[in-house]
Amino acid sequence: MKARHWALIVLLLLGIVKIPVERAASRTLRDHQVLQPPPNLSLRDNLGQLSFAAALGGLRSLVASITYLQGFTAHEHNDWASVDRLMTITTLLQPRYAAYWDSAAAFMSYDAAHYYRYNRERPFILRDQLYQQHIERGQAILQEGLRHLPNSARLHEQLGYVFARRMQTGDRPQPGDTWLPPDHKRAGEEFLKARQCGALPAIERQAAYQFALLDNDPEAWRTGYEILMRTYRTGFRPEGMLLAIKTFEEKLGIPAAQRIPEGPRLPAR
Amino acid sequence: MTHPTADSQPAGSSRPFDVPYRRFSPARIGTIAGSTVTQLLRMRIVVFLVLFCVLVVAVGFSFPVLDPEQQLKMLKDVSFGALQIYALIMAVVATSLLLPKDVEDRTLYTILAKPVPRHEYLLGKLLGVLAVIAGGLVIMDVVLSFVLWQKQHSVLADNEAALMLQFSGKIPAGLLEQANANLIAQGLTWYLHLAVWAIFLKAAVLASLTLLISCFASSTLFTVISGFGVAILGHAEGLLRDYFFSGGAGTFDKSLSALLAVAIPDLGIFDAVDAVVSGKALALSEMATMTGIAALYVTGYVVVSHLVFVEKEL
Repeated sequence: MKARHWALIVLLLLGIVKIPVERAASRTLRDHQVLQPPPNLSLRDNLGQLSFAAALGGLRSLVASITYLQGFTAHEHNDWASVDRLMTITTLLQPRYAAYWDSAAAFMSYDAAHYYRYNRERPFILRDQLYQQHIERGQAILQEGLRHLPNSARLHEQLGYVFARRMQTGDRPQPGDTWLPPDHKRAGEEFLKARQCGALPAIERQAAYQFALLDNDPEAWRTGYEILMRTYRTGFRPEGMLLAIKTFEEKLGIPAAQRIPEGPRLPAR
Repeated sequence: MTHPTADSQPAGSSRPFDVPYRRFSPARIGTIAGSTVTQLLRMRIVVFLVLFCVLVVAVGFSFPVLDPEQQLKMLKDVSFGALQIYALIMAVVATSLLLPKDVEDRTLYTILAKPVPRHEYLLGKLLGVLAVIAGGLVIMDVVLSFVLWQKQHSVLADNEAALMLQFSGKIPAGLLEQANANLIAQGLTWYLHLAVWAIFLKAAVLASLTLLISCFASSTLFTVISGFGVAILGHAEGLLRDYFFSGGAGTFDKSLSALLAVAIPDLGIFDAVDAVVSGKALALSEMATMTGIAALYVTGYVVVSHLVFVEKEL
């Protein structure tokens, strides 16, 4: 047998041996989040052939940075449809980088939503719809991001803020309004998850402040009260926190002897 | 083939062959590798390294409108992109040029006329290419690390100054640490060097496969095109393999994907750069897996290259 025949046999054997090895290694490295999931083939239509090849060829992070920059430029021109498209591509390319989900959601649920809300060139009913749609889009982006990064304190915190702030303080729904009211319960829950994932103690207090705004949820009130009292006992007593503790004391019917001595008085109910 | 030994030397002559002949000599391989490095350095690859340094410094001071975390990530993305392009081009083009250039210069005949086995010649050539790739990557890694370190310190100082201003000199406990944590994760970490090692492993696999192609290719152009083709297909090999193992594909599609999966290495396994640039820490066991797979490929392709080259009529 000639050496070239041996060459073919060795090449074939190498190919047969390498497939299960590669398969196991890919699976392990993907489970350890060292390797990204394979790029979605639908990306090719959005990225173009060359960028797709570059993304496939190990330059995925670089292509994501470029689409992020393009999205940032579109943001400066208030071209919100392009911002959404480009940020979607960016997050698809690097789904495990929390900052991209955070930026994409902020662009939609804050910047785009408020751009439409205060754009007086558009009819009121359209502004209302676009405002709501973009807030929902921001929420959807964060929820999708949390599917990839379930332990991201940053994304839980941002989702909490979107639920808490989706209608600015002072606004009250008018008859016929379809604006989304704040969801204090879900906001509080997201802040608690953020704290469990390593966010600062201040974020846990944010959860308590959200629970203080709920109308009828004794369980959440109790949770919020315990969070704030824990902080109170450390000696850190900002004015807003004392007000929230007073609110909980009233709502939970805490006996007078157990109430905190200081703090502003609540207006008579 | 008979090799000259001390016994075959005429009496009274100087005795250059006193050292017994060895079938495998690291010293001979080292000499060939050294001459290959010189040969490649004469191709002005240093220009690319200078351009890289300029690029890194330029990107380090660009995009001031982005938030600090994105500035650091952008610097890493562009730099690692340049590192990957350098390694890919060197692995394919430099390796493709080696054998034809030696044939053209008649160096190959001079070397093989001496008692140098062909496998040593191939190993020497491959090690020479790998040494040049590794040297370039080390230089670029040092430059990137320095610029990134400088940028990180500047960004951290700006961040602290901004928080001091915002909170009138009394930053709440833990806030600065948390704000800095994201920046530090995007700054200089030792995992970045592991990502450079992963790039080198990918280049080593590609260079050994290109060497194999050049052993039977009739032209340099064919080798270069095939090398880049393998590089592109190698990154999509995971998709081909999954397609092969999926139940829905037809016989022809499955056969084709199986053939490609057998013939082409999965270069996507070495793509640790994305994770590292996003701030993911790499474990040594993960790097050991990559290194082991790269060693398997390189050994296999070198053996096949030898089997092809040993019968090649020169």
